[in-house]
Amino acid sequence: MSTKINVTVNGVQYSHFVEPRLLLVSYLRDVLHLTGTHVGCDTSNCGACTIHVNGKATKCCTLLAVQADGCNITTIEGLSNNGELHPLQEGFNECHGLQCGFCTPGMIMTAADLLQHNPQPSEADIRHALDGNFCRCTGYHNIVKSVQYAAQKMKEKEVVH
Amino acid sequence: MSTNGLIGRAIKRVEDKRFLTGHGNYTDDIVLPKQTYASFVRSQYAHARLLNVDTSAAKEMPGVVAIYTGTDLVDVNGVPCGWQVNFKNGDTMKEPKHPLLVADKVRHVGDAIAIVIAETIEQATDAAEAVMVEYEELPCVVDAAKAVQSGAPLVHDDVPNNKSFDWVLGNPIEEVNEAMRKAAHVSTLEFVNQRLVPNAIEPRSYNSSYDPATEKYTLYTSSQNPHLIRLLMCAFVLGIPEHKVRVVSPDVGGGFGSKIFHYTEEALLTWCSKKIGRPVKWTSERSESFLLDAHGRDHITKADMGFDANGKIVALRVKTYANLGAYLSTFSSCVPTYLHGTLMQGLYTTPKINVDVTGVFTNTTPVDAYRGAGRPEATYLLERLIDLAALEMNIDPADLRFRNFIPPFDGVNQPGYQTQVALQYDSGNYEGVLKKGLEMVNYAEVRREQQEAAHNGKLVGIGFSTYIEACGIAPSAIVGSLGCRAGLFESAHVRVQPTGKVSVYTGSHSHGQGHETTFAQVVADKLGINLNDVEIIHGDSEAVAFGMGTYGSRSLSVGGSAIIKSIEKIIEKGKKIAAHKLEASADDIEFSSGKFTVKGTDKSIGFGEVALTAYVPHVYPKDLEPGLDFSSFYDPANFTYPFGCHIAVVEVDKETGKVSLKRFIAVDDVGNVINPMIVEGQIHGGLVQGIGQALFEGAEYDENGQLTNASYMDYCMPRADDFPMFEMGSQVTPCPHNPLGVKGAGEAGTIGAAPAIVNAVIDALWSGGHKVKDIRMPLTSERVWHAMVDA
Amino acid sequence: MQLAGKYLLHAAPPKVWATLMNMDTLAKVVPGISRLEKTGDHTFKSILDIKLGPVSGSFTGNLQLDDLQEPSAFTLKAQQNSRIGNANAAIKINLSPVGTDDTEIVFDGDVKLSGMLASLGQRVMGGVSNTLTKQFFSNLEKELEKTPAS
Repeated sequence: MSTKINVTVNGVQYSHFVEPRLLLVSYLRDVLHLTGTHVGCDTSNCGACTIHVNGKATKCCTLLAVQADGCNITTIEGLSNNGELHPLQEGFNECHGLQCGFCTPGMIMTAADLLQHNPQPSEADIRHALDGNFCRCTGYHNIVKSVQYAAQKMKEKEVVH
Repeated sequence: MSTNGLIGRAIKRVEDKRFLTGHGNYTDDIVLPKQTYASFVRSQYAHARLLNVDTSAAKEMPGVVAIYTGTDLVDVNGVPCGWQVNFKNGDTMKEPKHPLLVADKVRHVGDAIAIVIAETIEQATDAAEAVMVEYEELPCVVDAAKAVQSGAPLVHDDVPNNKSFDWVLGNPIEEVNEAMRKAAHVSTLEFVNQRLVPNAIEPRSYNSSYDPATEKYTLYTSSQNPHLIRLLMCAFVLGIPEHKVRVVSPDVGGGFGSKIFHYTEEALLTWCSKKIGRPVKWTSERSESFLLDAHGRDHITKADMGFDANGKIVALRVKTYANLGAYLSTFSSCVPTYLHGTLMQGLYTTPKINVDVTGVFTNTTPVDAYRGAGRPEATYLLERLIDLAALEMNIDPADLRFRNFIPPFDGVNQPGYQTQVALQYDSGNYEGVLKKGLEMVNYAEVRREQQEAAHNGKLVGIGFSTYIEACGIAPSAIVGSLGCRAGLFESAHVRVQPTGKVSVYTGSHSHGQGHETTFAQVVADKLGINLNDVEIIHGDSEAVAFGMGTYGSRSLSVGGSAIIKSIEKIIEKGKKIAAHKLEASADDIEFSSGKFTVKGTDKSIGFGEVALTAYVPHVYPKDLEPGLDFSSFYDPANFTYPFGCHIAVVEVDKETGKVSLKRFIAVDDVGNVINPMIVEGQIHGGLVQGIGQALFEGAEYDENGQLTNASYMDYCMPRADDFPMFEMGSQVTPCPHNPLGVKGAGEAGTIGAAPAIVNAVIDALWSGGHKVKDIRMPLTSERVWHAMVDA
Repeated sequence: MQLAGKYLLHAAPPKVWATLMNMDTLAKVVPGISRLEKTGDHTFKSILDIKLGPVSGSFTGNLQLDDLQEPSAFTLKAQQNSRIGNANAAIKINLSPVGTDDTEIVFDGDVKLSGMLASLGQRVMGGVSNTLTKQFFSNLEKELEKTPAS
């Protein structure tokens, strides 16, 4: 038994028949081969699977693919614009905000959501926003700095435009 | 040797881009043609006899390709332990078989009973649920101290008292007892260094295939050391020829020790791939990771530290029961012994030390190296005891340390320091890091604030930890004499391409440590070329000649030194080529900034031209082979001994016992630094794992051997808003015995941090008149509150 | 996991006892029973389908009524297996008269959980077992109301 879904992922429209129990993260990884979104747990705690669904940061390891029918999805693969890194991607490189890289896509997608709503977050705001994303490598110190870097960069861009 | 100033600079990581754009390539991302998927039937009980395993219904389920149980594998060896520890009486440790699938009795929750292979992971999981297992539940034991008592249930029927080994190191116990009797003051602690779950965010994943045409296996594995896995799996478990197996560790999402070990699933999937003639993939679910990835720590310890009237340590006596879990994991036997007992000198001149360790089997997940491995436990013991002694003797804890530090020595002009517990420290300036830490924290001011806080009814505490670790693991001859069943050298192959670009094949795998940047910095610096003209290749047994892997903070000190050896050979050969072209003697050629120059002249040719000449040898020395390509093996002369000082400032809420970490100062001396940005990042991550142990983490077993917090809903992982920004300081005391002068930074943070936190909390409580000796980690609000109220 | 509590039923102990010892009513009052098969004087084979929040599974196993002291006490022993874990319980149940028409049931025992029930489910199991207990007693109450006073 399959159900048809239509989704837009990183600007591309897809139409697939999927099993009702297929998780959205499995749809992205196994059907669309977008393996940048990772699975770190099975309880929606670690945040490695965070993507944007209709513009909002969402943990897709406990969402079914059929629930995403009609949705607009952005994954880490769709964050950079024409080969130009997103300020967050740049910030994570600049401030050494990643080590093994496994939590990084989810971390960046969560931070991107934060900066959309709170373009100049305090350190406490950042730490609070990233509370649902685990990183075992960096001790969060440089992740906080990376987000601060991106916020500053985005502000500078605003001024230029 | 030349330098273009790349060494020592905070170069941005070259590997980042693929991770930032979602193009990392982890094992679970790999799908092979004709892929199948595995799911396991695992024990629900900590200890039970298997009466019947019925796979008949499961075999009829849709998509099932094959199901194997323990009875299919009775002739296959188990996974081995890589380090032999002997009993005090000389007997070899007890090393029962750790089977790939259990046939007789299960010994911990999660022990594998059957593997189900199907066309999709969902079908495999469905069918695994249809396998019917009949158990006869047996009494179990989870606590190491209880497991050695007579009458305790036996994890392995042929291991009396569940003892794998008992072991002793240091001065004779009589001498230590005598010194302790004469001591003016003895501080004693009985404590538990609790069990931790490593929790790399990438769950373990394997994908194994077999090609009947070439009779070759390929195993993709989330391992820290693919060559070691190949060696152990081929030679000890499956008995297949090593040259017929390729093991690849692609991108690996963190290890922290837990991905060193050769796990049963690696060998089992490899065995299955030939049986079914198709690739088999398995990726651990998080709930499985909690039950299967080797845990860390879990020591029950009683320790006494004796002091003379001047506060000088005169003796240290340690008795530890180390919980090994149900089976010996790859390095589990050496962690509580040679990585723990050997660190009991700490930074102090203690003249008499005796360490006694009993390794114990229990019905729990196997325990092995987890970031720091033995050294955090040793540091915790020493640093808690000396801080407690300071409180008990009413001496300032910093002052008490200064009274006992080994004086500075550089290992060149002054000899290394011979400890009472086998090791010889390479170089150190221990008072230097504490002095720097005291300056950074502004000690006098913090003490004043503490008094003021106490006056206002608030509990503020400051805690110290001055640690040392032995890393850069390790000289093969030394570890061989101590029971290690492998050499611990490293290999490096540096291939200069005809165009002067350089490919470096290293046995040190990178899973977050940034080798692709740091190693390239070393190579580019030494050869005077651009960073982006160097590529670091690692993690593939077919590409890299050999490798012992990444653990024990060894990559740069051992793997980096191997690279230096190859570079030296390249420069030496390059000089001969240049001499021929420049019509000079090779002895008169010097190499600097990427150029070979005839000394005292302006005659020179560039590195690129020498490289091209080596591969297009039209004008070439007659006695020289073409090519510019060298491999080397480096076996270190000694361990390296990084050290440092960590200081925590905490506030404890009087009403609730909640601990707030206000400041954390880390001054680490890791020898010379190639990339300070990466080193700081390593230490940050280490600190959070150390502080995580002190405040949040801990595996909780119930008396039935069930791990009751086996999910992220229950196991408290450190999160972003648990921490302040860290205050980082550094000192450089170069390692005298490796060419880069580096010591290693991967574990420093974890080793030093936990006791600083606990000391700070205890200090806070004493400032409010609660004379608490110890609180069991993690220091939850509940435990701190109880300690306050009960004191 | 400890399971303890008490419940007041509007019926005298002998009637409560008789209801509990009757296999047909037992099948109606134990929550989720889809099959109950008598295997001995006081032993049964059972299949229970339990769906409560995150705990959902088909349990197969044995129920046993032991240490019978009519009409005041017995022990309920249950060994239930499922794909999400096994449960092993021994619950001591005391029936004491309150006035002439009522019975107070006091129960106390230990439930041993294994597998996912223990590692993932433990923290919700308290709530689940409370709900099941309530269901059991409200079912029992209904059964007692149906049968006329003896």
